[in-house]
Amino acid sequence: MEKSKIAEELRPFFNPKAVAIIGATDKKGKVGNVIFENFKMNKERGIFKGNIYPVNPKLDEIEGYRCYHNVKEVPDDADLAVISIPAKFVPATMRDIAEKGIKAVVIITGGFGELGEEGKRMEREIYEIAKANGIRVIGPNCVGVYVPDTGVDTVFLPENKMDRPKSGPIAFVTQSGAFAAAMLDWAAGAGIGIGKMVSYGNKLDVDDADLMDYFIHDDEIRVVTFYIEGVNEGRKFIEAAKRITAVKPVIALKSGRTEYGAKAASSHTGSLAGADRIYDAVFKQTGIIRAEDFEHMFDIAKAFAKCELPKGDRIGIITDGGGAGVMASDAVAKFGLKMAELSEETIKYLKENFPPHAVAGNPTDVVGDTDAQRYKVAIEAFINDPNVDAIVIITLFQVPLLDEMELIDILADYAKKSNKPIVAVAMGGKKTEHYAKILEDKGVPVYPTPERGVRAMAGLVQYAKYLENLSFLPICWGEGK
Amino acid sequence: MKEKALKIIEGVLAQDRKALVEFEAKEILKAYGLPVPKEKLAKTFDEALKYAEEIGYPVVLKLMSPQILHKSDAKVVLLNIKTPEELRQKWEEIHENARRYKPDAEILGVLVAPMLKPGREIIIGVTEDPQFGHALMFGLGGIFVEVLKDVTFRIIPIEEKDAWKMLKEIKSYPILAGARGEPPADMKAIVDLMLKVSKLIDDLRDYIKEMDLNPVFVYPEGEGAVIVDARIILK
Repeated sequence: MEKSKIAEELRPFFNPKAVAIIGATDKKGKVGNVIFENFKMNKERGIFKGNIYPVNPKLDEIEGYRCYHNVKEVPDDADLAVISIPAKFVPATMRDIAEKGIKAVVIITGGFGELGEEGKRMEREIYEIAKANGIRVIGPNCVGVYVPDTGVDTVFLPENKMDRPKSGPIAFVTQSGAFAAAMLDWAAGAGIGIGKMVSYGNKLDVDDADLMDYFIHDDEIRVVTFYIEGVNEGRKFIEAAKRITAVKPVIALKSGRTEYGAKAASSHTGSLAGADRIYDAVFKQTGIIRAEDFEHMFDIAKAFAKCELPKGDRIGIITDGGGAGVMASDAVAKFGLKMAELSEETIKYLKENFPPHAVAGNPTDVVGDTDAQRYKVAIEAFINDPNVDAIVIITLFQVPLLDEMELIDILADYAKKSNKPIVAVAMGGKKTEHYAKILEDKGVPVYPTPERGVRAMAGLVQYAKYLENLSFLPICWGEGK
Repeated sequence: MKEKALKIIEGVLAQDRKALVEFEAKEILKAYGLPVPKEKLAKTFDEALKYAEEIGYPVVLKLMSPQILHKSDAKVVLLNIKTPEELRQKWEEIHENARRYKPDAEILGVLVAPMLKPGREIIIGVTEDPQFGHALMFGLGGIFVEVLKDVTFRIIPIEEKDAWKMLKEIKSYPILAGARGEPPADMKAIVDLMLKVSKLIDDLRDYIKEMDLNPVFVYPEGEGAVIVDARIILK
């Protein structure tokens, strides 16, 4: 889809001029109240810049805001409607919204297609109203949209029960509302920045493919993560996925990994093709990186958010603990990467600048009496070595002579100026976590184990290889064989 | 290509059948430039004799019947026939076997085929997924597919780079590359095969539900590949 069209169609969901909150109420704890409070608080904080129009036929005012009895009465700048009224009233409300001319609607309400025939009928009715009037719909049966930069927050779990993550270059898309809420809460705790979150529930209209097309042109977003339960329109999904992965990385977590067994298939091939194998094929073919679980998904996302792409798969490891270096080397093999063979100059340089008991090689072990400067020597050498494509730096902050803040500044400095990706691994307890957080805030992705650090790097390598392959020159087809 | 394939498909549908016999499947494959052996369908023994002379002994006989799709179960594939006398004897035997397996089986003819020199066996298949459409499968034949299920899929249409990736990502790839001192297999021929199947299915996706090319013999580099047996199931 062309840029201007999809960008303009979906813009109000992420950055509305004014929002009509249909079903807003002053009754604490009700969905319509939490959503209203979210917008109101974000407006008071100066984050949400638009106007807020609560809509409720029984109220004239909510907490100092004028309440409208029907969406048709709200001022004309409203370009987003959020609906949280019972399902049976939604079709009529959609007609009012159509009359009003609002083109973007989030339907939070559940109780539609997931609950049988009558619900499905209502969904069809809503869909037809939307199509006839050029309205885009997210939902129903979802938690909607969260955008920390613009203050859009339709997540009906109140702030005192669910933390919101800070902003960042990661977009997160999920069908499941429960997963969305749990994940946002977790991301907030883990310090992961989420620029845009969409939970689309029953996917009546806006789906994964639309969002991929939108995120292609969204300069705030560097990497898109999906939690996928099922895809309705396979071809549309594949086409959109190919378009976006040519521009920015996409990571997907697909539930239902287990095979559902042999279907009623009369061919050999049919009996071997479980749903999971087909998803695997789709992801490989479209350059989507498949995550094993959501920790894996955000480990990779974090690396994409902060790192350059590697030019190859040769990994250099620097450590101050021999065991951790071995664990990282094992992970390099496990995830299909290669250990870099350091150049002679690098080895020579390291030996000249290291005490005799430090190990110049790959892994390079700066050993337990290291200071920050010894790390600096090693990092500098690895960055300058043409045989190293990506660097994993393991630091046990616990060693006695290491000035933690000095090392953090060195790592952050090199991570910024190097065009090779650098990830850090910091193993330990509370004290380590403290330094890891500082390091991460300075732009270096940090992982709690060598395996997770290397696995995140493998995600970068996988995507870099996919991009490289896009320019693959055919050598076989067309020879008229 | 498409017109010829459609003619065969329409003929089969007109007989109220969904499963093509090997001969029909191979005619479609041939229309798309896929490598099938020089085979001919004989309706009478005299025809079989003539075709065997043309092809050259030793030959293989395969009985074609819409009611007998598992040919080896019914013992209607007879290999390594070396002389006209033996051909006469096997001609009787193959019909006898068919009658014993399914007395009322309709017999479309007997395929006279050359005895192929063995190659490394691969399987190329097609299945239809309800969400994503037709998918192409590739793997090594025999125990690799039967027991280890060492196969990989891509959604059709595939590109050449997809075919190369499929080839290299199965665990048994080293066998194709020549792990046991053999010369490497003709990879280009395999890739070419996958791309042609992709094109065929893309053209005929409204008609074909599933396909198995199993086995396909692959010969050393530069010597190509040949589809030994083929099944096509219509929608």
